[in-house]
Amino acid sequence: MNEAPRQITLREWDDRYERLQTRGVRQPVYGGPLGRHVADGDTRLLKLRYDSSLAALRLWNFLLTEEDRLRAARDAGKKLVGTMKDLGTVPVMAYSLDNLVAFYPDGAWWIPCVMEVNSGLLQIADSLGIDESFCPVRAMLGAFVTGTHFPIPDLLTCSVGATCDDFSAIAQRLNGLGHPILWWEIPHRRAPEVEEEAVQLPGDFSAPKGQIEFVQSELERVKTALEDLAGQSLGAEALAGGIAKANHVRWLLAQLRHLAFTATLCPMPALEMLIAEMLAIHFCSDQDETIVVLQELLEEVNLRVAAGTGYSSADAARVFWVNPVADLQVMNFLEDCGGRICGTEYLFAHALDPIPQTVPPMEALAQIALADPMVGSAADRAVRIVAEVRRFGAEAVIVSRIPGASHCALEGEIIGEIVRQECGLPVLEIEVPPLTDAMSPTLRTRLEALVETVENRRSR
Amino acid sequence: MKTIAYTCPYVPAEWIAAHGLRARRLVPLPIEGTSTIPRIEGLCLYARAFVNDVAASDDVSGVVVTTMCDPMRRVFDLLVRRVDTPAFLLNVPSTWQTVAAQRLYLDELKRLGRFLVRLGGHEPDKEELIRAMLDQAHGNGVHGTGFPNAMNRVGGPTPYGHGVPLALVGGPLMLRDRVLFDVIADCGGRIVLDATETGQRGVCGPFDRRRLAEDPLMELAQAYFRLPDASRRPNSELYRWLKDQLAQSGAHGIIFHHYVWCDKWRAEFARLKEWANLPVLRLDSEGDGPIDMVRTRNRVRAFMEMFQ
Repeated sequence: MNEAPRQITLREWDDRYERLQTRGVRQPVYGGPLGRHVADGDTRLLKLRYDSSLAALRLWNFLLTEEDRLRAARDAGKKLVGTMKDLGTVPVMAYSLDNLVAFYPDGAWWIPCVMEVNSGLLQIADSLGIDESFCPVRAMLGAFVTGTHFPIPDLLTCSVGATCDDFSAIAQRLNGLGHPILWWEIPHRRAPEVEEEAVQLPGDFSAPKGQIEFVQSELERVKTALEDLAGQSLGAEALAGGIAKANHVRWLLAQLRHLAFTATLCPMPALEMLIAEMLAIHFCSDQDETIVVLQELLEEVNLRVAAGTGYSSADAARVFWVNPVADLQVMNFLEDCGGRICGTEYLFAHALDPIPQTVPPMEALAQIALADPMVGSAADRAVRIVAEVRRFGAEAVIVSRIPGASHCALEGEIIGEIVRQECGLPVLEIEVPPLTDAMSPTLRTRLEALVETVENRRSR
Repeated sequence: MKTIAYTCPYVPAEWIAAHGLRARRLVPLPIEGTSTIPRIEGLCLYARAFVNDVAASDDVSGVVVTTMCDPMRRVFDLLVRRVDTPAFLLNVPSTWQTVAAQRLYLDELKRLGRFLVRLGGHEPDKEELIRAMLDQAHGNGVHGTGFPNAMNRVGGPTPYGHGVPLALVGGPLMLRDRVLFDVIADCGGRIVLDATETGQRGVCGPFDRRRLAEDPLMELAQAYFRLPDASRRPNSELYRWLKDQLAQSGAHGIIFHHYVWCDKWRAEFARLKEWANLPVLRLDSEGDGPIDMVRTRNRVRAFMEMFQ
């Protein structure tokens, strides 16, 4: 596939799919025209624009067939683990056991967007007292009640402590409805004091050794529960193998991100890159296939970079994006307005960092869990963002607020303050609800204004 | 004597006193016109008011914030950036069923002790700690208010008298919310159980005298760590505590109060309503101005009519 890249609509993709079929292009078992997902209720797909590569098609189909994959895994006798409020730690353990499949129930937060609020999940959450003052992740509660968006897992784990209150409260409500939860504590990451031994964490954070030991002991509890569920023990060797595999996924993403954010012409649109990054959290319920999907994307991107093809123009405003968007369409907006993504921090930067392989595996997982940007201070997170802004040469920062999310009330102010101080860049804070249709003119105007600001700064 | 301010009930005032410092539980008024944190949208107004009141206090030498809720954890970030007063973030585990979580809390108290020494306090004195704990047990208090905690300044239960006996359940109350008690009394009710964070629920149970004598810090940590709250995971102990207290108090109904952006308490309302075999009235407060008296009074009055 070496055609000039372009963003196409779902209808265009379906036409293209037919032509590809007649040419005998093969698809994976979960492949097919994207339009069939609309028939399942994913109507938002009609409003998005997609990269025209087969690699992107595979990515989308992989994402949109996760529920089928989970049900097939259960039918095949595998046990399902719902890893709540866990961005890339427990799934590494679960996938090190061959009869467990981990998934991320919090991922239901995108269902109201993808199904354009037609799923009824938010209404169920409302009826359970979890109203719109909470983050859209409340859709997860509805998904558990209906049991129609993912199978009810055999084991539910949830990290608590230094996490957002929305999710903690929603998980407690879920627990109150009769779903047992294995709670594990993630303490607020703090700087080591003078008398404490310091440990350097991935992402250039540091923490006292005592905190690493504590988190490790918590993860040991989770590991025991996973072993009980799997009916097999998880030895250090198997876990080290699981970590190496997870690191391969992270390595692929690192290559992909580097090319996408630094190439003269953007070789892969923001939306596909967002989806690709999300795969690092729980591998979309199939770790092996995640690797294949990312390899294909990377090949496509390599081809484009080598050919000097890509999107927009070389002078597109280089934007660093903070927090994932509840409405996927907003990633399209950025490019419409003359911007491109050059760096991201979608709340799970630690899930993209290599897991240390020079320390015992459980200690390594404890380190990566504590490296979560959300468990430390917003100032810590801002420092990491500043480093990435410089690395990728971003010219502006967008902090995208998630409606109702407890961390969003203040973090934007601190991140903005530090980014302006350290980099002197413009910072735009926006709020993105699951459906932005009613406010899209305002959003676009604000994005255009940011792009113009970047252009004006260049000419100064 | 230097004063250390805090508001979370998981901060043991006795521990601060054992370092030769005065503990002051700062329940925000809030003070008008302060704006260390000007933003309102999405932020729990209690957390905001606390930081603004700390910033406006010129007699505070240090402040202790805890991780019991995300807004407090995050306002700490702003506090250290915008206020000169030295601040300490006490990591209070949300989980409570493991020995590791209990040990973490104890270790955090020791770390707090080092912070207090750096502020000019002396090394913790065992006898002083025991004395402070006994004073607390006798109601003499070390919280700087002259009372076991701040509840008497906000409202507190009125176990005798007329009116329909009610329980007040929820997170913390600000000082100006004391008007709520008057409104309830005016409408024919009386609070027999103040199960808010600034009420009876925020007071730790009695200390065991034998353990207190042997290892007072351990006893202190265990007593405080057992405080029930909506934020604990799981928070089953809150309901266990409420079950006992509601039965003892003879409450006929529950008034549930929370601030608009307090997720952890807001989320409990529906569950409490399902759980309690009593009528429940929810009062959500914007907390950013005087309580909307007319609205509150009407709602409480309508609730009271149920009991006629």
